[in-house]
Amino acid sequence: MKILVCIKQVPDMESKFKVDSDGTWYEKSDLVWRMNEYDEYAVEQAVQLKEQVKDADLTVLCIGGDQVKETMKKALAMGCDRGVHIADDDSNSKEPYEKAGIIAEYARDKSFDLVFTGMQSQDKGSAQVGLLIAEFLDMPGVSTIVDFSYSDGVVSVKRELEGGMKACVTARTPLTVTCQLGLNTVRYPTLPNIMKAKRKELLSIPVEDLLKVESRQETARIYFPEKKGTGLILEGGVAELADKLIGILKEKTTVLT
Amino acid sequence: MEFTREIYWNVGHGVWTLVPMYLLVIGAFYLLIKGFMKRVAVYRQGLPLERTDQPLARIRGMVVNILLQKKVIKVQWPGLFHGLFFWGFGLLFIGTLLIVIQADFTDLIFGIKFLKGTFYKLFSIVLDVAGLVCVVMLGGLLIRRFFFPPEGLETKKDDAIMHGLLFAILITGFIIEGARMAVTELGTSPAIWSPVGLVFAKTMSGMGEQVLLGVHKGTWWVHLLLVLVFFVLIPTTKFRHIFTTSGNYFFEDFGPKGKLVKIDLEDEEIEVFGASAVKEMTWKDIFDADACTLCKRCQDRCPAYNTGKPLSPMKIVNQLGEAAFCDPEVNLIELIGRDVLWSCTTCRACQEICPASIEHISKIVELRRSMVLMEGEFPGEEVMTAMEAVEINGNPLGIGYAGRGEWAETSGIKTLAEDPEVDALYFVGCYGSFDRRNIAVAKSFVTLCQAAGVKLGILGKEEKCCGEPMRKMGNEYLYQSLAVENIERIQSYGIKTIVTSCPHCYNTLEKDYRDLGLDVEVVSYTLFLEDLITSGKLKINAENLSCTYHDSCYLGRHNDIYDTPRALIEAAGGALVEMAKNREESFCCSAGGGRIMAEEKIGERINIARVKMAVETGADVLLSNCPFCLTMFEDGVKGAEVEDQLQPRDIAEILVERIEKS
Repeated sequence: MKILVCIKQVPDMESKFKVDSDGTWYEKSDLVWRMNEYDEYAVEQAVQLKEQVKDADLTVLCIGGDQVKETMKKALAMGCDRGVHIADDDSNSKEPYEKAGIIAEYARDKSFDLVFTGMQSQDKGSAQVGLLIAEFLDMPGVSTIVDFSYSDGVVSVKRELEGGMKACVTARTPLTVTCQLGLNTVRYPTLPNIMKAKRKELLSIPVEDLLKVESRQETARIYFPEKKGTGLILEGGVAELADKLIGILKEKTTVLT
Repeated sequence: MEFTREIYWNVGHGVWTLVPMYLLVIGAFYLLIKGFMKRVAVYRQGLPLERTDQPLARIRGMVVNILLQKKVIKVQWPGLFHGLFFWGFGLLFIGTLLIVIQADFTDLIFGIKFLKGTFYKLFSIVLDVAGLVCVVMLGGLLIRRFFFPPEGLETKKDDAIMHGLLFAILITGFIIEGARMAVTELGTSPAIWSPVGLVFAKTMSGMGEQVLLGVHKGTWWVHLLLVLVFFVLIPTTKFRHIFTTSGNYFFEDFGPKGKLVKIDLEDEEIEVFGASAVKEMTWKDIFDADACTLCKRCQDRCPAYNTGKPLSPMKIVNQLGEAAFCDPEVNLIELIGRDVLWSCTTCRACQEICPASIEHISKIVELRRSMVLMEGEFPGEEVMTAMEAVEINGNPLGIGYAGRGEWAETSGIKTLAEDPEVDALYFVGCYGSFDRRNIAVAKSFVTLCQAAGVKLGILGKEEKCCGEPMRKMGNEYLYQSLAVENIERIQSYGIKTIVTSCPHCYNTLEKDYRDLGLDVEVVSYTLFLEDLITSGKLKINAENLSCTYHDSCYLGRHNDIYDTPRALIEAAGGALVEMAKNREESFCCSAGGGRIMAEEKIGERINIARVKMAVETGADVLLSNCPFCLTMFEDGVKGAEVEDQLQPRDIAEILVERIEKS
């Protein structure tokens, strides 16, 4: 069985973001990078599948500059067999259709049975890439899965719906799934696997070799929403808190008059 | 008349005594040595560990510890009883040896007798009293063990055998003496030099000479056999501690105190990290089990054990030994139990009190290393989240790394990147940098230094967690990657002194970082402030303060800094009321050993237990010197519902309020 898992490197969401000088993306200074959370579920599920079927080859793919290799190493340490790094220093400016096109171009002749990816990225959040890959490769695409099982070429998943409902979906491989929070608990890489990961194949391919589709959309501007009203945290003992609250209610509202 | 007595009186000194006696003695020693050889083979299953360097210092340490019973008498009553028994028994052993030397060597070969005159008087009275002391001490310990056993004291077959045999040896000794004296010494002046023997002699004197001679001879042989049985039983019963505990004084860890063994991560040949089986532990870990006498002093002091957690340091040590002897292939983690291993706070109370110099913490960390590094297991998801947070943002709280220096922006203190010309680098630590309560402490410390004219600098966002909690949780890989980055940064600024306000950072930088190349002086803020006060640079007004003081495990037991914090409290005018558990006996706050990252799910909360101890002193303020302790106590006063009675504070906070205004 051949499995592909597509991951993205994103900034840690605890970082303080600033809009960059072009006004179309965030500034890169003072950021730390990690694997997109949803892609971690994808890697974990792919590794679990490999452990289940045993005879499988698991490729992890990531688009970006050289720095994404660090994140790829974590996927390799978690259990992926090989890495494909699509070298692109300008990956942020590419729209989801282009990214899916690049991945599909790479995957087209590799006959992957299953493609795993996160349901969306934490920084861009388009939630399109996974399903577009499925379209490009002409295979079914199932999004936002929270449960996964595989047996004899048939994948059964649960999808998360609004309002707490779940949908059970089955499909035959080849197939693409996009993974949602709740699918699994991501493992902590063991030290022997971290060591082994350093020696695993990590192939770099220039993005130009794989980019065959044209952009169809453009981000015009990103911005922070204007602050409308602020919260206020009161501190002190109970009596003090009550006094402060009464003061505010008197001053700013009419409920006590 | 000459003061002496005939050795081998009534028993005879001919071939029919000496040959069987010496054959039996040789046989007993053969069994004794063979018994230990078998055990040595079991110790050898373990990995190598260097513990024979500096042999002279080791021998000196061993002799001092054995002769003075230094570690044993740390616990007053049972310790003193053991000590007195040991000294008494030692004298009896020396006495017997002197008899052997005179009768079978110096007298037999050269005709030289030294057990006579004044020396004989001394010899006689010393041995007589020593025997009595032994009987009384053994009796006391027997009553304690079998009739009023303290909680947790396990009594096994071994204990009955040992008490019975020692009693029999002592009593038969007195019977022999009594019988001999009844026949030869009653009514003569040497008798008063054997007062206990005299009592036995008077009691037995009515038996008539023939019976006495028979009793004497028979008991003599019984006494000899009992002593030989004692020798034979040493390797297979707890008697072995005579050799193994003494040996452990020789094999003592020469420090730095509590420093863990570094795993060589460069070595690509290593495939097993940490230990999950006997053969992955060191020989010393197995030997430790043989040195344990089940005195349960460790267990009595273990904060986890005392709050209803499944951990007993004593039990772990013995489970390991049992596995090594009976089931060497067993998985130690399964055998001991994960909850047991995760419960340890590495507070070192067990190791500090252990009269047998057993090293508990390194065993637990070694087993944790296996769980974390080989299995990716943690005590809970929250710990894994914290580990990942450290990997990404360099702090277990998961706060963006770039904000690490923000607390200092209004403090008039710069980062080394902005201004590397400083008197000392203040290594703030994660809690001092990010936790609001502890930022107040960091600011207090900075203000104190500024008042003393000392210029501090910080690393700001270039600082990362020192890695201590991760290391103690078993994550050596993460610890080393953090340490290497910190060391590189620190060295690049050419700093001469580092000061820390977190004892965990202090211990790590001062000891663990040395293995990775840090060569800068590291000082705890308590010593740093004490220096500023004694040199007159920092002037503090003493103002009344009702307080108690908590010795953090890592400033106290791990680094023996007990007096300095107390001196600071005194300088601040604190009227210190000690808690019952203080200094070496201090009770952990619960957050050591990486437990700061973990939820405490089993048993009573340790921090609440400690806060209750502080409340008992009646003091208004609970002073400490550690961000983890402060965090746990802030939480503990709420849990114990004593927020109105007891205020947890750091020493720096009370000092800063008392700076003398010039």
